[in-house]
Amino acid sequence: MAAILLLGGWQAMALSGLLFRDVVPPLGALAAGLWNVIADPTFWANALITGGELLAAVLIGGMLGVATGLALGASHVLSAAFERWFTWLGPTPKIILFPVLILFCGVGPASKVAMGAVSCFFPLVLSTAAAVRGVDPVLLRVARSFRARPWQTVLKVYLPATVAPLLNGVRLGFGVALIGVLLAETKLSNQGVGFAVMQAYARFDMPRMYGLLIVVVGFAAAVNVALGHAARRAVGATSKKET
Amino acid sequence: MLSVANVTMRFGTPADGVTAVDDVSFDIRPGEFVSIIGPSGCGKSTLFNIVAGLQPATSGQVSVEGAAVRGPHPAVGTVFQEESCFPWRSVIDNVAFPLELAGMPRGERHDQARHFIELVGLRGFERRLPSELSGGMRQRVCIARTLAAKPRLLLMDEPFAALDEQTRLLLGDKVLQIQQTLRQTTLLITHSITEAVQLSDRVLVMTYRPGRLKRFVTIDLPRPRTAEVVTSPEFGAAVASLWADLREEASRGMAEAGG
Repeated sequence: MAAILLLGGWQAMALSGLLFRDVVPPLGALAAGLWNVIADPTFWANALITGGELLAAVLIGGMLGVATGLALGASHVLSAAFERWFTWLGPTPKIILFPVLILFCGVGPASKVAMGAVSCFFPLVLSTAAAVRGVDPVLLRVARSFRARPWQTVLKVYLPATVAPLLNGVRLGFGVALIGVLLAETKLSNQGVGFAVMQAYARFDMPRMYGLLIVVVGFAAAVNVALGHAARRAVGATSKKET
Repeated sequence: MLSVANVTMRFGTPADGVTAVDDVSFDIRPGEFVSIIGPSGCGKSTLFNIVAGLQPATSGQVSVEGAAVRGPHPAVGTVFQEESCFPWRSVIDNVAFPLELAGMPRGERHDQARHFIELVGLRGFERRLPSELSGGMRQRVCIARTLAAKPRLLLMDEPFAALDEQTRLLLGDKVLQIQQTLRQTTLLITHSITEAVQLSDRVLVMTYRPGRLKRFVTIDLPRPRTAEVVTSPEFGAAVASLWADLREEASRGMAEAGG
């Protein structure tokens, strides 16, 4: 229903002539643009680059974030000393760091990965720390009474007890990593989806630009739905009592 | 086996603090089943944490088989009052947890876990998740998990506190059976007189705040015992005698809490 309204409104706007025809192309042109994008091998080459950057960013930023969050959540001392810094730095736009990252990592994919990783790191630190604090303390006492080593407690208690909130954290982290990578590509790059969008914009090829945007939005939404689904299933598997 | 010598536990500052456990000493011999009973707030659970090595005492010493307890001792197994199954692990993987920590291969640890699952009467439930079991069954999983680590001293902190009366009696019966099969040295913390009398060789009565030992009562009921033991006159006499001791402490606790 909402989709029909949206598409109808768009088409009405396109045909009304009130706006510049190329800014709001009619649905037919849009569909053609989308098709051109999907059928274009250079798009897939760019998508592969951006996808690789995104994957590396989520892996690096995610693992560092989860590890830092585990440490903050499990230790009162560390959390008292450092957690406020993460809380303060968390919402600042990471793109201001991009010039620094270029200096460190160069103009190639590495700086985009770094951009995405930095973006993804902060929400994961905070959501992991919160999740760790939510672990039932008696389960930790059980692990202690069986003389579990610290790494065993992390692998066999903390991680399984926090899968659901962690997956939600990854979902948040994935979103901001995607923003980070694409933003970095639009700023300074000669490859990747962000670069392709800017190129289409520069050529004023609006159908192509919209086509690219639709693909990106669709991809992000699909990953989000999948992670949300996984998180809900994990909640079912780790909740204590039958519902 | 277990020796507790002059253990004292204070919380807060020396000037303004609470003495939870005051100069408690006792011993447990191998194979013995001892209960500690006392009103709420008498420091039973504090004493339990100290013996389990989860909390250091302010002063005094706990030793197991002659070695001082500084942190969880490998010969001591602990069953907690709270629900403590890992909710994401099946029954068999919960029970095999201590063996998994020890690095035992999967097949072997499952074989051993099966033995203890059978011992607590949960055969057929190996693959179930804790959320699919009743509260009493979950507590039996926890008991089996602790037994799987083959402790020489079993510590239980009100393991039946969260259960209804019928389940408690049946579970008590189960614990008796297990005790008789394994000759397991056990220290049980409880606030239930019947539970203490039904299961124990000796019962230690604690006073209300500060927690001191008031009396050591030997329970002379013949073994093996079953749930039917609760109907015998000797059982009634032992319960009455303990209740006389405990009533005094419990009413002191209530008066203090009320005033």
